[in-house]
Amino acid sequence: MAMLEVRDLEAGYGEVKILWGVNLSLQEGQLTALVGSNGAGKTTVLRSVMNQVRPWGGSIYFLGREVNRISAHEKAAMGLILVPEARQLFTDMTVVENLEMGASSSRALKHYKQNLERVYTLFPRLKERYHQKAGTLSGGEQQMLAIARGLMADPIVLMIDELSLGLAPLLTIQLFSTLKQLRAEGLTILLVEQNVQTALSISDYGYVLSEGRTHLEGPARKLLNDPQVRTAYLGV
Amino acid sequence: MQFGNLLTSIVDGLLIGAVYGLAAMGLTLIWGVMNVINLAHGPLIALGMFSIYLLFSNFGLNPYLALLIAAFLGLIFGILIYFIAIQRVLGASHLSTLLATYSVNMIIIGIGTAIFTTTFRNVDYSLGNITFGPLTVLGTRAVAALLTFLIAGSLYLFLYRTRLGKYVRAVANNRAAAELMGIPSTQILALSFGIGTMLAILAGGLISTMLPFTILSGGAYELKSFVIGVLGGLGNPLGSLVGGLVLGLLEGIVPVFMPNTWVPVIEFVIFILILIVRPTGLFGVKK
Repeated sequence: MAMLEVRDLEAGYGEVKILWGVNLSLQEGQLTALVGSNGAGKTTVLRSVMNQVRPWGGSIYFLGREVNRISAHEKAAMGLILVPEARQLFTDMTVVENLEMGASSSRALKHYKQNLERVYTLFPRLKERYHQKAGTLSGGEQQMLAIARGLMADPIVLMIDELSLGLAPLLTIQLFSTLKQLRAEGLTILLVEQNVQTALSISDYGYVLSEGRTHLEGPARKLLNDPQVRTAYLGV
Repeated sequence: MQFGNLLTSIVDGLLIGAVYGLAAMGLTLIWGVMNVINLAHGPLIALGMFSIYLLFSNFGLNPYLALLIAAFLGLIFGILIYFIAIQRVLGASHLSTLLATYSVNMIIIGIGTAIFTTTFRNVDYSLGNITFGPLTVLGTRAVAALLTFLIAGSLYLFLYRTRLGKYVRAVANNRAAAELMGIPSTQILALSFGIGTMLAILAGGLISTMLPFTILSGGAYELKSFVIGVLGGLGNPLGSLVGGLVLGLLEGIVPVFMPNTWVPVIEFVIFILILIVRPTGLFGVKK
């Protein structure tokens, strides 16, 4: 059974239709990449999945259950967690308060201590700065905090929007290897990225989104060698 | 002029200023959390006055016990107002939220006037005087200021030390992100509106033990709340306490040197000056 499945998703803003039929299926314990150029509709896919944008058509299944009409906070409590684009931290609150806010559902609260230790091990920098306001952290530290806050929610499926945006290449590589580690621990991850090459190279499976449709999919390695992908996204 | 008089005037001003601060706290909390300027704030303060009056005069309840009951009812009433009048217009322009809260204002004033008319009432309750050397203060004023500090302290502990209070701050800071983390933001907003209303009711209740009032009296305190909000920074409930003390001090000192009618002139000149120089308020945070 797919952990998260999206079928023929259509969505948009106001009169403008952005998504014309998106299909995704995340398998348990896999790292799946959704790649595409800027403006392809990647963020809209995630926002529709969380019901922050109401889907116009199609269905979303989480753990086999149709969840189209379920609100974002209820989905989060079920274990479907989105680390949003541009981090969206609670900038006026401290690092540790942000982590605490991540663990708001009863599920997450049960594993609070354990998860806190886990994120401090993954990101020791956050432990050093636990009392600092999130808004005063560097861009890289903010991205770490955004991921850590997501992990504090005890996700069953973790979706990350534009992990690499605005980060130095070295830090991007470091965070990608953290994701690989999380995947190795059994977490199901959806990585949404503009950085096609890097995203596909660490993923198990990939989808290519263009003009609001998922028009290519396959094992990530295969996609990397796909002539269409190579000319359109990798500039080869 | 005697030094004792000036001192009494200043201390009196500070004591009542603390309660002004409490009145402003509710207004600024609601603004800070959901960017709504609550034009029903004044009538809610007046409702606080009348709650104490009714419980005290009709049931002979101690005013401070009555305050506890009124606070609880205020919380519930605020939550109701949120779901009936605020929630739907929250995403709309400021004009819509202003009109919505103004309508609540008119409804409360209309019903209140029909029931209570606009004759002055007072809560005839005394705690005697407290004298320190040249200084004499009314017991009810001292208790009102003391309770204000207690309430402000509790609000601080709630917002910074409890999980629920942190949810309020998280939703104020970034509602969409709070939803993504599993925080039910609608409930948190309703609770915040309830707490803001409760603070207005508490302020009104304390004022009723000090001064006579009508159902229209809240308006004056609402206006003061705006001045205080700007002094202390809108969206910063604890700055309100400082703002209230400043305003109270002004009201204590000014009448010693010039006619009482100058007090609002000076208050609002200061209000405009601050808006020109520092639009976010003296202790305000950028929004």
